[in-house]
Amino acid sequence: MKTLRSLAISLAVLVFIIAWVFPILWSVLNSFKTEQDILAYPPKFFFEPTLAAYREVLFGSQSILPNVWSSFVISIGTTVLTMILAIPAAYALARLRVPGKRGAGFYILATQMLPPVGIIIPYFLVLRNIGWMDTYQGIIIIYLSFSLPFAIWLMVSYFEDIPFEMEEAAAVDGAGRLTTLWRIIIPQVKGGIAVTVVFVFLNAWNEFLFAVVLSGNTVRPVTIAMFNFVSVEQTLWAQLAAVSVIAMLPVVVLGVIAQQHIVKGLTVGAVKGGGRR
Amino acid sequence: MTARGHVKVEKVAKLHGQVAALKGVDFDIRPGEFFALLGPSGSGKSTTLRLLAGLDKPTRGRILFDGKDVTALDAQHRDVAMVFQSYALYPHMTVRQNIAFPLEMAKTPKTEMAERVEDAARKVSIQHLLDRRPGQLSGGQQQRCALARAIVRRSGLFLLDEPLSNLDAKLRLETRAELKKLQRSLGVTAVYVTHDQEEALTLADRMAVFMEGEIRQIGSPAEVFARPNSIDIAGFIGSPPMNLMKARLDNGTPVLAGRPLPLRVKQQAGEIVVGVRPSAITIGEEGMPARVDLVENLGDNAIFDLSFDGGLVRARGPDPLAFAEGQQVAISFDAKDIHLFDAASGHRLEAA
Ligand SMILES: Nc1ncnc2c1ncn2[C@@H]1O[C@H](COP(=O)(O)OP(=O)(O)OP(=O)(O)O)[C@@H](O)[C@H]1O
Ligand SMILES: [Mg+2]
Repeated sequence: MKTLRSLAISLAVLVFIIAWVFPILWSVLNSFKTEQDILAYPPKFFFEPTLAAYREVLFGSQSILPNVWSSFVISIGTTVLTMILAIPAAYALARLRVPGKRGAGFYILATQMLPPVGIIIPYFLVLRNIGWMDTYQGIIIIYLSFSLPFAIWLMVSYFEDIPFEMEEAAAVDGAGRLTTLWRIIIPQVKGGIAVTVVFVFLNAWNEFLFAVVLSGNTVRPVTIAMFNFVSVEQTLWAQLAAVSVIAMLPVVVLGVIAQQHIVKGLTVGAVKGGGRR
Repeated sequence: MTARGHVKVEKVAKLHGQVAALKGVDFDIRPGEFFALLGPSGSGKSTTLRLLAGLDKPTRGRILFDGKDVTALDAQHRDVAMVFQSYALYPHMTVRQNIAFPLEMAKTPKTEMAERVEDAARKVSIQHLLDRRPGQLSGGQQQRCALARAIVRRSGLFLLDEPLSNLDAKLRLETRAELKKLQRSLGVTAVYVTHDQEEALTLADRMAVFMEGEIRQIGSPAEVFARPNSIDIAGFIGSPPMNLMKARLDNGTPVLAGRPLPLRVKQQAGEIVVGVRPSAITIGEEGMPARVDLVENLGDNAIFDLSFDGGLVRARGPDPLAFAEGQQVAISFDAKDIHLFDAASGHRLEAA
């Protein structure tokens, strides 16, 4: 009975993994093929790998390196600004007994549910009027309007986990408010900050819809630049696959680096509740 | 170092919105004194301590340290040491860093800091734990770490909010004795919040008994125990609590269950309450007839629950086997052990 059940679970997990891994595998494999191999039918699983597609998308006439750069500037800029603003805001929201705190919490969640297409036109008009179309500051500020509420919402609970007595102890020990935040509070929410940084960065990195409308030829993130390889006459599948692999790389790297933090961050409540480890 | 740690609290009140946590208290703590704030839950003890620490500001009144008005001074600048009930150790720092934190805030030079941290840790015997984190310490060790963080300041005033309440019974007794020794050897003033009267009685030089946001009595434990100034305090201090029996005055003589008691008060007539501590009641052949309802054997002594025609009383006796349940006995007590209170106001009546 028991083995049957664990077998069923294993099978379900396997199906899940295949479904999840297949598109990634498709991209990775195809990025090493020639255009002819890709179009071969039945699909070839054994083929002579080539870096031609990578060479073309990185150093060819349509190099995506400037786009990768754009993506980095946008994502890092969004993340840094978000964190600078979200950390004190989440702290304040967790600590201060401000009227309308609940309302604020709801608003923050509501912004996450709003369909982006609903507000994209006003955003477009505003940016155009102030001349911020196709600029870093334009895109970053729009991303900020989503990432900031999300980051605050994510971090509030981390701050709330820290007993208020901890801050009072710091005050009695002679620490000012900023010192307390920096030396006592922040180190205890490191896990939460790591998790938030990862999410905010990835959201900005992966964003597509706003980028389509608000970017242009100067600022053109990778997600948009992929369309360089799709035209009316033909689709360059290998190059497209190579670009998507390149676009996935930072996600994978960040995931691996932050994995420990993320797991720790997600279990921080349990660890603290345990008292003794 | 002359007489550091004098605390004066003048007419201090604290309102939380409509709730009066503290209705106006006055007291004076002498340098080097161990001063306990004792009272039931919600009576305003912690509120008072927080006002002393500067964590809260009083709604009214003044607080003076060594003659200096500190009412408006923030906790950060008051230079008092405090031990929290939860210890409030910084979990991301080692014990050493925890203890050093107040010194770091005071910009103490590195070498002096290291010395003082070692010194403080030695005083509470945790010098071997300096490189651990609070999460890796037992409850008692955490408590010591919190104490060391307070000691290291060399502040003249220690504030402690139920510092022993998270320890198990045995450890609590040990630590209690050590705490007193430590306070003596450091020569600091200690303000100690507790709702455990035994703790207050054993530790304090003087204590303030809090009830409903007011101080009802201030004095040495012996004074408060010997002469509680109201029915409430008589019933609160002492374990088991004082027996309180309804009686009346007849020409200035208290009459209990039809029998005149051998003392007089100035007041002539009225309803009163007679109080006698369980340890002051003698069970024997002479006195008022009573019946033993229950014997609580405590090993080397016992509590006897007795009923007599004046009501129920509890008496403490040395021999648990001296009397059996159901036995007919007689109870008596000395005039000097009788406390009298006005039934209406609750105030103590002095024997004339
Ligand atoms: N922040 C606050 N807001 C509203 N009321 C408060 C606040 N802090 C304390 N009080 C109230 O003030 C009163 C005194 O509280 P305090 O914490 O001083 O009691 P305590 O004597 O320390 O009791 P305990 O032994 O339970 O710790 C209580 O009735 C409490 O509910
Ligand atoms: Mg309290």
